[in-house]
Amino acid sequence: MKVFKAISALLCFIIFGAAFIVVSKPKKLKFPVPKGWAQPVYDFKSNPITQEGFELGRKLFYDERLSKDSSISCAGCHQQFAAFSTYDHNLSHGFNNSLTTRNAPSLQNLAWQKDFMADGGIMHLDLQPLAPMTASNEMGETIETIVRKLNGDTSYKRMFSAAFGDVTINTQRMNRAISQFVLMMVSSNSKYDRVMRKQDTFNLPQQLGYDIFKRKCTSCHKEPMFTDYSFRNNGMALEKTLNDYGRMKITQDKNDSLKFRVPSLRNVAVTAPYGHDGRFFSLSNVFEHYRDKMVVGPTTDSLLKKKLPLSNFEIGQLTAFLQTLTDTSFLKNPLFAPPGYNITPSFIHNH
Amino acid sequence: MKQSIVWILVFGVWSLTGRAMAQEPIMYLHFEHRVGKDTLELMNKTYINAHNEPFTVNKFKYYISNIVLRDSMNKAEAYPGTYLVDEADKWSKFFAIGELPHFNPRFIEFTIGVDSIYNVGGVHTGSLDPIKGMFWTWNNGYVFAKLEGQSDSSHAAANYFMYDVGGYKQRHNATRKVKLEISHTLIHSGTLTIKADLLKWFQAVTNISIGQSSLCHEPGKFAMQLADNYATMFSVTEMK
Repeated sequence: MKVFKAISALLCFIIFGAAFIVVSKPKKLKFPVPKGWAQPVYDFKSNPITQEGFELGRKLFYDERLSKDSSISCAGCHQQFAAFSTYDHNLSHGFNNSLTTRNAPSLQNLAWQKDFMADGGIMHLDLQPLAPMTASNEMGETIETIVRKLNGDTSYKRMFSAAFGDVTINTQRMNRAISQFVLMMVSSNSKYDRVMRKQDTFNLPQQLGYDIFKRKCTSCHKEPMFTDYSFRNNGMALEKTLNDYGRMKITQDKNDSLKFRVPSLRNVAVTAPYGHDGRFFSLSNVFEHYRDKMVVGPTTDSLLKKKLPLSNFEIGQLTAFLQTLTDTSFLKNPLFAPPGYNITPSFIHNH
Repeated sequence: MKQSIVWILVFGVWSLTGRAMAQEPIMYLHFEHRVGKDTLELMNKTYINAHNEPFTVNKFKYYISNIVLRDSMNKAEAYPGTYLVDEADKWSKFFAIGELPHFNPRFIEFTIGVDSIYNVGGVHTGSLDPIKGMFWTWNNGYVFAKLEGQSDSSHAAANYFMYDVGGYKQRHNATRKVKLEISHTLIHSGTLTIKADLLKWFQAVTNISIGQSSLCHEPGKFAMQLADNYATMFSVTEMK
């Protein structure tokens, strides 16, 4: 009987110990909801953020092997110093010298966004990476091949296992990991935010600009996200080469012709060029569009039927205010730099 | 000591055999793809549709979901699960859906397509994994059915014709319900063979010719016309 007791005790010990090694649980990361903001719409219950999942997502985000010829990563077109848009490019570079048809949007505060793309064609953050991965003028790869490449890399096997409990690598896990990484990109520490928290004050032009902004811009660029996420025609005439009708392509409703999503203005000073196709080189081009060059058509937004009158003085003050939306701590947060770096290195600049 | 080990062994054997014996007979579905009277062969064979257009088939696949078996008194057994039937994958055409019902089924109902909740709820796994090539990444939603091939009548590049049908939103809903009568009796272990005739894609509710429309790549009116047509392609052929 003594032997029996000893054996069972030993057995218990081994099972308990093994469980500890095999099921070392991923470490939960707290998602920061800035004070005064609405609750995020992303369902964190189906995909809780963990340290391991976040790190896997970061590796995937910066991995050029996800593209067909290993030349383009997500970060190629979503560069941290440009608030994860493409710096200085109206359109981004895709596989085999191709160009995208739209300006790469900045990535920030994605947990509060319900659908994605300038036309809202993508219904869930987890689905978003599939579009650039498979588009022939972006990363140009098939999901099947990407999953096969990941399966052939032992470091990925280790990381998937750490993040999700076993070595299975599939589309769902890959995209959930990328979501975990990009969800953490919360930008809420610009001068504007500090002023709202009463930790800072605007100078005179910034304050005057904010007052003008609240009178003329907030119905679409709603605080604190600086977008209401709606689709509107702001009078940008059809570009004949791209032939992009925006939202209408998704809904097939002619009332949606030339409607595109209202972009967030957070970090707007570092995300030039502007417009869904990047046709505006600078902020002054955008103001000039609104007060003069707009083409008012049947689907042009009701708020803009008479264009948007802006004096030179107002443009100056508005520009001063928009610069307070730059969140340097976000643009330089080492958490979002490539694995092993504290700041985005120059080799990422080449797209 | 010895006694307890024996007891554990006895219990183990009993529980295993008990489970095996308690297993209910399984209901299988078997899909058979035909082009008129011919059996479908991918790539090599040329067929003729109702509009006298020659065509070959490179891809033929579709989703089946919400399977329900019903008897004449309207007693029903529902089978959850979404299945991708793919001509190129032999085992996708023959699959178990669950236990055989405790009544004689007289009707089988199913949906061609994928429930709207799966079209929006993130990335799914198994038959619904976007890796299967049945998902539109730029305008989210599943491709419910796909018929692709080549035809001299097509004006598209390389004479391809591609009918990728989907759409879950109300205005462009391309899910179609099918109800078929089962004229025989299912006893114990059952396999229900369902025939699908590809020629119906071109002529059933609407006449669709490759020469006139050779591409369908998004939800909309044409996708719904194709769906109306192929919803008529199924029939129950035999019972075993």
